[in-house]
Amino acid sequence: MAQARAHSGLLTMWTYIARNILQRIVTLLIVSIVAHSVIHLAPGEPSQVDPSNPRMKPSDIENIRAAFHLDDPLHLQYAYWIRDLFTGELKSFKDNQPVLPKIWQRFLNSLPLLICATLIIWSLSFPTGIHAAIRRGSVYDRSTTFTAYALISIPGFFLSYIMILWVVDTFNVPVIGMKTFGMEDADLAFRSMDRLWHLVIPSLMSAIGGIAVLSRYVRSQMLEVVGQDYIRTARAKGLSEDTVIYRHALQNALLPFVTMFGFLLPALIGGSVIFEQIFAWPGLGRLGYEAILARDFPVILTINFIAAVLTLAGTLVSDLLYAVVDPRIRLQ
Amino acid sequence: MWLKRLLILIPLLLTAILLQSYFWVPTYETQAKGNPKRLLKYIEASSGDAKILNPILNADSASSSIVGMVFEGLLDLNENLALRGRLATDWTITEQAYLLVDPDAQLPNGKSATAARLERLIQHALDSGSLPELNGVLLHIRQIPSEVRTTTVEVRTPDENDQPKTTSVAVSINVPERVAFMLSRVDQDFFHRLTPIIGEQYGNNFQLDKYIHITDPVDEIVETLVKAQFPSLLSVTEHNPELLFHLRQRVKFHDGQEFNAEDVKFTYDSIMNPRNISPRTSDFEPIKYVEVLDSYTIRMVYKRLYSPAITAWTMGILPEHLLNETAMQAEMDERDLSEATRETFGMRDSQFNRSPIGVGPYRFVEWQGDQFIKLDRNDDYWDGPPEYEQYIVRIIPDLLIQEVEFRTGAIDFYSALPHQVARYREDDTYQNFSSLGFGYVYIGYNNRKPLFANPQVRQAMSMAINVDEIIQYIMYNEAERVTGPFPKVTEWYDESIQPVPYDPDGARALLESLGWKKNADGWLEKDGKIFEFNMVTNSGNPIRKNIMSIAQNAWKKIGIKCNTQYFEWAVFLKDFINTGDFDATVLGWSMGIDPDLFQIWHSSQAGPQQLNFVGYNSPEADDLIVRIRQEYDRDQQRVLTHQLHQVIHDDQPYTFLYAAKGTRILDKKIVIVNREPDGTEQYEKIYPLKSGAIRFYFNKWRKLEHTPAF
Repeated sequence: MAQARAHSGLLTMWTYIARNILQRIVTLLIVSIVAHSVIHLAPGEPSQVDPSNPRMKPSDIENIRAAFHLDDPLHLQYAYWIRDLFTGELKSFKDNQPVLPKIWQRFLNSLPLLICATLIIWSLSFPTGIHAAIRRGSVYDRSTTFTAYALISIPGFFLSYIMILWVVDTFNVPVIGMKTFGMEDADLAFRSMDRLWHLVIPSLMSAIGGIAVLSRYVRSQMLEVVGQDYIRTARAKGLSEDTVIYRHALQNALLPFVTMFGFLLPALIGGSVIFEQIFAWPGLGRLGYEAILARDFPVILTINFIAAVLTLAGTLVSDLLYAVVDPRIRLQ
Repeated sequence: MWLKRLLILIPLLLTAILLQSYFWVPTYETQAKGNPKRLLKYIEASSGDAKILNPILNADSASSSIVGMVFEGLLDLNENLALRGRLATDWTITEQAYLLVDPDAQLPNGKSATAARLERLIQHALDSGSLPELNGVLLHIRQIPSEVRTTTVEVRTPDENDQPKTTSVAVSINVPERVAFMLSRVDQDFFHRLTPIIGEQYGNNFQLDKYIHITDPVDEIVETLVKAQFPSLLSVTEHNPELLFHLRQRVKFHDGQEFNAEDVKFTYDSIMNPRNISPRTSDFEPIKYVEVLDSYTIRMVYKRLYSPAITAWTMGILPEHLLNETAMQAEMDERDLSEATRETFGMRDSQFNRSPIGVGPYRFVEWQGDQFIKLDRNDDYWDGPPEYEQYIVRIIPDLLIQEVEFRTGAIDFYSALPHQVARYREDDTYQNFSSLGFGYVYIGYNNRKPLFANPQVRQAMSMAINVDEIIQYIMYNEAERVTGPFPKVTEWYDESIQPVPYDPDGARALLESLGWKKNADGWLEKDGKIFEFNMVTNSGNPIRKNIMSIAQNAWKKIGIKCNTQYFEWAVFLKDFINTGDFDATVLGWSMGIDPDLFQIWHSSQAGPQQLNFVGYNSPEADDLIVRIRQEYDRDQQRVLTHQLHQVIHDDQPYTFLYAAKGTRILDKKIVIVNREPDGTEQYEKIYPLKSGAIRFYFNKWRKLEHTPAF
């Protein structure tokens, strides 16, 4: 009997997942169609098709337009795009390079930045947030609250510029790009430390907003949990304050954060456009931005598509995770 | 509680790991830390990527700076901006002059002209000393018998749909006898000097119709058009300057092939090949033919007097063996191009432009689009290899990032903006060099408009403007006043000419003497019309915008009403400048090293789309401009340019404002390295030439580990 229930539970779970994936595929289809139409209807032409270039003969422009299928009806262009995307033959309008390897390369560049920023956000937010919650109303709590709101309000690009100027002026060390230019012939140790250093400032700057938000969130979660009956029970049992806070309270306060892991996925793409631009970081966000400026439709659409896939996957993952860690939530 | 400790330990550890990396990174002062090779790299930034790395095709500054390192010309400019031999060891300029025998002309001695008679008379005059200026100049005289030439003339006529159509018409020319003269130097007044023998009127009544016949059947319109071109087919006098180059031997291209005269001829042929659409054609079009005398001697014969043509040979020389017909065929086969592409395939499409090979001090290594271009030292460079092992241009569009990278030592050179100059000048962490550029900024008046037709009015307009104020407040004193059309750093500029003084009262008095009286509203008025006009410039240039405001205000003070407008650059050119449909404008010119001002100031260049858009028209200036471009003697040219400078200054077709200074900031550890014969090195501080240039000794530059003390 118990086995059968478990079995049927597993079944409900699988049907739940299957149904969810199906729904998300439909959403994805709609998203991609909308994105495709919006981008093609927006004014502007791919940069290769530049009628003001005196070296371009009208016949050249026609050839390029034909090669890009720019004169076909929109639904056909959409079909061509989907076909090329899934056969891996999609080429950029800007330099005729295959799109997927290009995106993969840029993704690998963005990845260390994202990992480092995430590490900073998560490792710094918890101690600050917890501490503020425990000492609610103290000077520490009030000053972190103030700092957090200040950091949330100040635009990140502004802070980044100030930071760059300060670091450069005070320490005379390079902060722009993925590595110091001209270090190709240096020893491995120096080269890797140089790469690490170049991660520090941009990831810190892109983490600042996250730290401010997340530490506030940790604080309010902790406050909510600390007020619960079972905490009072724990204290009444005579447990040490540390055990009460870090075992009983923290574990329960952590629950909602599980879902946030899901949202990390789409951040892989959109999270750092501004910072990659400011720090001249050749990452994915910058690729997307440059593609928009050059009206490089295949690159824009593919990045958009991948972002949509990751967002949908992210929500699915957090739904599932939540169900796994919180027994109160049941799959229907 | 372990969790508590962990929560504190992790962030501390993370921070420590991240921050310790700081101690490994090179700073401006310690650029060689863990990376000694950094001292042998010169890294520069460019705002834009290069477009095409080919000396005959490039037109943008990023490409030019790379091309200048990879390629080398026959000549270049020395410390005093005079020509110096590079791939040419030396060169001579001589002239062949031709005089047509006009049988209808009567010589001063009453006889009719024949070639034999002219030769005898001139030789006699030379021998008897009555032509002293030609002594030693006129080397040889000979007769050329009459001949028949056939050629085709192209004319453009509208076809039935009003589209331009090109028709080729065959013509036959019965060239009469001629006398040829060999001159040891170019002399634009040579035929003038022969007047005592051939007479003032010689050739004035030469009837071209008698000698040129159209051989194709044509209609009347075409006939008129062809006849209009007759003077260019046959002229009574002809100057053919000749340029003879002796080339340097045992110079090798980066691929090991030896450089010779065929490469020079090939470079010329490529420029003139219409398929290549070279932007350099105007400098090489005056060449009649190029003749290879042997592997290391080459002669260029010019159709007419045109002195800027010599400076044109500073352009880099292409390797013939990599770009000739065979090489292009091989490239097309290798790239497996379609028939249609082969039809139009030219030098512009060749991969050579992305991986060039020349004879210059650096050879091309790598080009990462929008990131960097890398060159390596050419160890076989004929003038000795440069000190730097690598020359790298990084593409950094953002000026702030350029500056930030410069201050951390990741690039070696930065061009300061006017407002930053004062800060850098006080900062002795870097070395800085300020010098005037080759450009100037001006207010141009449309000389065709009745309002500005009188030079005195333009004089008064200039007197009303306080240029020093503009220099002080808009340019942060990073500019100098100019008084005329030549770059102030060249010898063509006459330093003795004083700028128009700032004198609003004088301006008002001058205008009053011309009939402009103040009316009740305070505006100047003449014949019932107030002194009012529109001034235009392009948007997006704050400096020009500010100059307009200052000028507008200055004129308002003396009663002149000026309305200002800004237009987007393309619109501004199309609707105002190219059509000449404006009253006044603020603009700037960037000049070259040549004293040739034909395009900007000659009255024939005032049509639509041409550069004399202010419609300046002075017969005196026209004459000087033509004489300057026909003069081959530098001292003579200087005399003429100073005269032209004065003429244009007196006419004030522009209010000449200022020439901006450029300030270049350089890493202080970069020095000039002088190698002594005994192998030791002597360091010398980098110093600017008279023209302000600092890169002249670039091949001797190197970066030291620590800032040297001088």
